[in-house]
Amino acid sequence: MAESYTVTEGNYFRKKKIQHGILYAVLTLVAIYTLAPLYFLIVNSFKSNVEIIASPLAFPTTWTASYIVEAAKQIHFFSSLVVTAFVTVLSVLLIVLVSSIGAWIMVRNKTKASNFVYLLFTAAMLIPFQSVMYPLIQIFGDMGLKNIPGLIIMYGGFGLAMSTFLYHGFVKGVPLGVEEAALIDGCNIFQIYSNVVMPLLQSVTVTVIILNSMWIWNDYLLPFLVIGNSTVNSGGILTTHKTLTLELYFARILAGQYGNPWQLIFPSVFISIIPMVIVFLSLQKYIVKGVAAGAIKS
Amino acid sequence: MIPKPIRLTTIIEGIIMNIYKKWFWPLVAPALILFAAVVLVPFIVGFVNSFLAWRGTYYFNPETNSRATSFFQSFVGLTNYKEAFQDERFMNAFWYTIKYAIVAVISINVVALALAVFLDSISKGAGPFRTIFFLPNMLGGLALGFIWQFIFQIVYTDILFAPDALLHAEFLRYMTQDTTKALFALVILNVWQYAGYMMIIYTAGLNNIPTDFYEAASLDGATAWQKFRKITVPMLMSSFTICLFMVIANSFKLLDQNVALTDGDFNTRMLALQILRTTKDSTPPNYGKAQAQAVIFFVIIAIISIIQVRATSKRELEY
Repeated sequence: MAESYTVTEGNYFRKKKIQHGILYAVLTLVAIYTLAPLYFLIVNSFKSNVEIIASPLAFPTTWTASYIVEAAKQIHFFSSLVVTAFVTVLSVLLIVLVSSIGAWIMVRNKTKASNFVYLLFTAAMLIPFQSVMYPLIQIFGDMGLKNIPGLIIMYGGFGLAMSTFLYHGFVKGVPLGVEEAALIDGCNIFQIYSNVVMPLLQSVTVTVIILNSMWIWNDYLLPFLVIGNSTVNSGGILTTHKTLTLELYFARILAGQYGNPWQLIFPSVFISIIPMVIVFLSLQKYIVKGVAAGAIKS
Repeated sequence: MIPKPIRLTTIIEGIIMNIYKKWFWPLVAPALILFAAVVLVPFIVGFVNSFLAWRGTYYFNPETNSRATSFFQSFVGLTNYKEAFQDERFMNAFWYTIKYAIVAVISINVVALALAVFLDSISKGAGPFRTIFFLPNMLGGLALGFIWQFIFQIVYTDILFAPDALLHAEFLRYMTQDTTKALFALVILNVWQYAGYMMIIYTAGLNNIPTDFYEAASLDGATAWQKFRKITVPMLMSSFTICLFMVIANSFKLLDQNVALTDGDFNTRMLALQILRTTKDSTPPNYGKAQAQAVIFFVIIAIISIIQVRATSKRELEY
């Protein structure tokens, strides 16, 4: 009796082991599949067009940076990187400030007006960008805001609904007691907000920053509509104020007129995604957690 | 009779509530103004404009065939909507988007759930896998679309599925040059990019299921499939709600990948791209018609989202 028991137990563990082996094999295959396009991207960023077509999967015969340098010039890498970072940082800052303080006071002052405002923001999450974009561009154009500041304001307005919703959910978990204690200590309303409430909302702030940055950094449509292919005259020098994604789009359009010059497209895509890959790899723990938290609360 | 003593905390609570009340409008104003300027006003203007002969930079008067001098001269009733529904390209885009959404929602969620369950059942090394699967989400749809365009045009067509290759599959060749194939190309690209995101949400859901449920089921002799069917799926209902909602919304709004992969050629325009290109389809640009399409687009998304959230939340388990 005892013997048969150990035999089945042995079987059970052997079966488990095989199952695990299969699982690891499947997951490894999926991981290779997931990384394959990025492998193509890297190896083909160092090849000529002829070489890319002839041997798309192989390592480059010589690792030359000339195509990358050429692409960096084509998409004005450094200026567009600065523009993209500037727009993303300021937009996210605007979203965080405006939505956190708004959501906090909405939770704290439970009135009909407050509920209505909250409902308005929640319902607005259903509005797709396409159904407001043409009037938006027209109105902002009339106000002289078809430029970088206008772009930041637009991102601010669009990020608001979801961020307010997220903050609203988290503020409910902040005990009123700490705010009362701060009041007794002589804090005014802004001190209560910045010294007591915001530190307690750190985790949701990380989520709001991540979700909005991912979207704004990579967005193509809004910069396309607001900035387009225009040039800016700054001190007699014509410069462009395009974001990375927008530069990439126009580089592709330009390249597309003469077939598919992959030798330009690959290195352009390569350098344009490097900043995001670096950010992700260094902050991946927070990003994965933040994304999960954001989805679960909503 | 001695009056009930008022407690100190009650007084403080009263004071702080008054402060909140006093500061409500000043503190909510920035959000409201920003929201009104960017979303609410353009939304209302857009709705009004969908009934006008709007040409983008000016309003047209169809009766005198010249620029309208007043708002009412440009009023065309439901003409823009009628034109939108008669527009073959718009109707094509509509059905194309629906078909894409159905295939994408199923594929992305099945892959994401499978990955989440697999990662949940291995003991070691789940972290690096999770990082790799999530990585494509960080990158822009446009940039990734260009890479995948190359994969479909060169790697799939000439290497993996070529006639002399190990696995000859004509359906997987020249995928960006055919209406139906391009739909599946878009699905392949978006499963690759999006499944990792949904996987994270399913993983969070799986972590919330108490392990003793599974232990109890094992004691009763349940098979792995039975446990999945009877424990995992019902307990994951709220994750399903979130994931379905997100993937449906994203499928309907898909634009970047559509632009990058085919740019709408070969009748592959989806709704978002159709609205963007309607103003380029005619001279002078018919912004009124584009705006009517945009309003229809909003109604579709709103209805689907509401139905979907209602239907799935009903089945959510409370415990």
